[in-house]
Amino acid sequence: MTTLSTPTPPPGSTNHASKSAPVGGSSRRGTRGPARRRGNTRFVLACLLPALVLFAVFMVVPTMNVFRMSFYTWSGFSPDKRFVGLDNFSRLLDDEQFVRAFQNTVALLVVVTVVTMGMGLFLAAIMTRQRLRGRNLYRFILYIPNVLSVVVIAAVFSAVYDQENGLLNSTLRLLSLDGLQQVWLGDQKLVVYSVAIAMVWQSLGYYMVLYMASMSSIPEELYEASALDGASAARQFFAITLPLIWQNLRTTLTFFIMSAVNLSFVLVRAMTGGGPDGSSEVLLSYMYKQAYTNSSYGYGMAIGVVIFAFSFLVSLLVSRATRREPLQF
Amino acid sequence: MRRSLVLAGAAVTVFGLLAGCSAGGGGSDSGRTTLKVAALEGGYGRDMYTQVIKQYEASHPDIDVQLQISKSIEDEITPNMKAGRYPDVVVLGQGREAALTETLIKDKALEDLTPVLKEKVPGENTTVGDKLTEGIVGNLNTNPYRNDQTYLMPMYYAPTGLFYNQGLFEQKGWKVPSTWDEMFALGDTAKKQGIPLFTYPTAGYLDSFFFALLADVGGEQFYTDVMTYKKDVWKTANARKALDITTRLLDYAAPATVGYANEQDFTKNQQLVLDNKALFMPNGTWIVGEMAEAPRAKGFKWGLTPLPAVTAGSKRYITTSVESVWIPSAAENKDAAKDFIAYLYSDEAAKTFAESNAIQPIEGIVSSLSGENAEFYKVYEDPSVAPLVGGFASTAPVEGVDIKATLFDTANSIISGDTTENKWQDALNDASEKLRQAGD
Repeated sequence: MTTLSTPTPPPGSTNHASKSAPVGGSSRRGTRGPARRRGNTRFVLACLLPALVLFAVFMVVPTMNVFRMSFYTWSGFSPDKRFVGLDNFSRLLDDEQFVRAFQNTVALLVVVTVVTMGMGLFLAAIMTRQRLRGRNLYRFILYIPNVLSVVVIAAVFSAVYDQENGLLNSTLRLLSLDGLQQVWLGDQKLVVYSVAIAMVWQSLGYYMVLYMASMSSIPEELYEASALDGASAARQFFAITLPLIWQNLRTTLTFFIMSAVNLSFVLVRAMTGGGPDGSSEVLLSYMYKQAYTNSSYGYGMAIGVVIFAFSFLVSLLVSRATRREPLQF
Repeated sequence: MRRSLVLAGAAVTVFGLLAGCSAGGGGSDSGRTTLKVAALEGGYGRDMYTQVIKQYEASHPDIDVQLQISKSIEDEITPNMKAGRYPDVVVLGQGREAALTETLIKDKALEDLTPVLKEKVPGENTTVGDKLTEGIVGNLNTNPYRNDQTYLMPMYYAPTGLFYNQGLFEQKGWKVPSTWDEMFALGDTAKKQGIPLFTYPTAGYLDSFFFALLADVGGEQFYTDVMTYKKDVWKTANARKALDITTRLLDYAAPATVGYANEQDFTKNQQLVLDNKALFMPNGTWIVGEMAEAPRAKGFKWGLTPLPAVTAGSKRYITTSVESVWIPSAAENKDAAKDFIAYLYSDEAAKTFAESNAIQPIEGIVSSLSGENAEFYKVYEDPSVAPLVGGFASTAPVEGVDIKATLFDTANSIISGDTTENKWQDALNDASEKLRQAGD
């Protein structure tokens, strides 16, 4: 109140005041500066408070709860929770279904990341570097799957994979490649990869647009200069484009890990329900089955902890492994 | 001044957000009891509930019934239940993926409804127990703890079994097989004409097949032994025989079955029967409504048969799916809830339910049915056929063990050759043993 209402001297008098009373002036500035900064801090804190409270209530507390519940045997409802220490975790090691779900998640993580990243980079480079006719249309078409709901994607792929008159098998028949026809969602060895293709299809456009955005910000001179030196398009891609969007690539790697865990769950639930006979189960779908269908909430939470630790660890490793000095242009 | 305003504003926002998260619950207002009823909106629709509630409120002016009905009712009532606000009456059976009923059974969190059986139906002179069909209570489905206490009242019942196209059988002059030998002989005949003998929508539908088969093979005692995880029950000759028959039958399965046996495509397996591309599939009476709009072969007519007998003339069982109504023990108005449940078995309510094809297990109701339903429920009239109710006994949850999945889903692996009958038997024995230990 007082600080605000203190009349500030008119601009002309500032010089005079500081000259005539240098000690007083500096001391005044000295008291006012931190006061304002303190005021600012308080203001910033006040603005952050709602978000922090929400974050704490909806993110931190539930996450802590997941960790806490993983040490209990609990059905999800009853008042009696039994503390069992690390029993849930040691049981996980003997649970074949869990091991299979883990393997499937890792397989999806690797396959989807490699394929989506490779194709995303390739397409983005073509779209930005080559003056393709109708590239806006291609970009639009490639991006569309990303805005579709998972249920729609599941329905689309159910039509693509249909063993009798699906798009895939019909095309193979048309090309007289009858021997390559498969029961895409019924073969236990194939079904994970069938899900992987749907995941790639869904996310390719999104990553392509991300890569395109950072590629288009690379100055044209670099390409012109290298072209004068006789660099091929491929050489330009590996020597200029890739190093300059490296930071962006690193970020998307984290996205890949998250989507392998989360997107695989929704797609698996909508497309296969984890079947046939648990062969396409992923970590989150198995966690759901245990926590709810099997009334083993604590066990489900132990799986949750493993998922948390796994994605955290992989993200950390990937981030460490890909760390490089950021290049500037 | 401004700063304190900002602070005050921020505080209001925070509290507003928090308050928004804990929306206050209502209470019963002056004298009138509010009865909260939650129901699963199944194939029967929601109108029958609103009608029955209207009739009930008309004769009970002091009671206000609030109906909550949804196709995923578990998702809607569970958060409130965790916060301590329980519905008074819940109409929800077992076997759903969210397994809310099973969880509450395992938690012993259901109200004992044995007294309701002795209660008089409101407005009538008979007790609820007397009105119910014989044998519909007192099994694992209603008395989950294997004692005399009834915790789940049977609400609707429907026969499940093998569904087929009667028209095709007439056309070809085939007889519906009454023994497994005849069944497999028919399988060979049909195979020559390019029609596979068997399919299933998803492996989960095999419940209507397996439970009856176990009882057919070894009698009711054996069935109960399996359902209550008797030690080494899966190593017995009877268990092996049931698995033998199943494995042999799966050998006759339509090649498309496994690829379509998922939530997205299961109707394509059902379509196989409509198109005469498979002869039999295990299913329930809801199939008629579910596939009502689907195209079908000329002269198609739904038929339902119990599983073939193991030896000629031996008793056959028909798995009967029973949906339940129950009261959570944490409910607020238990007495009013019990009275309401008793009313659900009144002639008035039964008529309303039956109009929506929801058939209650009330003595004599079958004679009042018409159309396809009349024919389906006729299977109970055959003296050699007995209804079989129940399912696996409830135990404390065992982490990572789901015996239903082991029993049913493995069929997919048997057809595709990813596992063998021996491994199946071992896995079943293993799961059963773990559950037995948890049950003791």
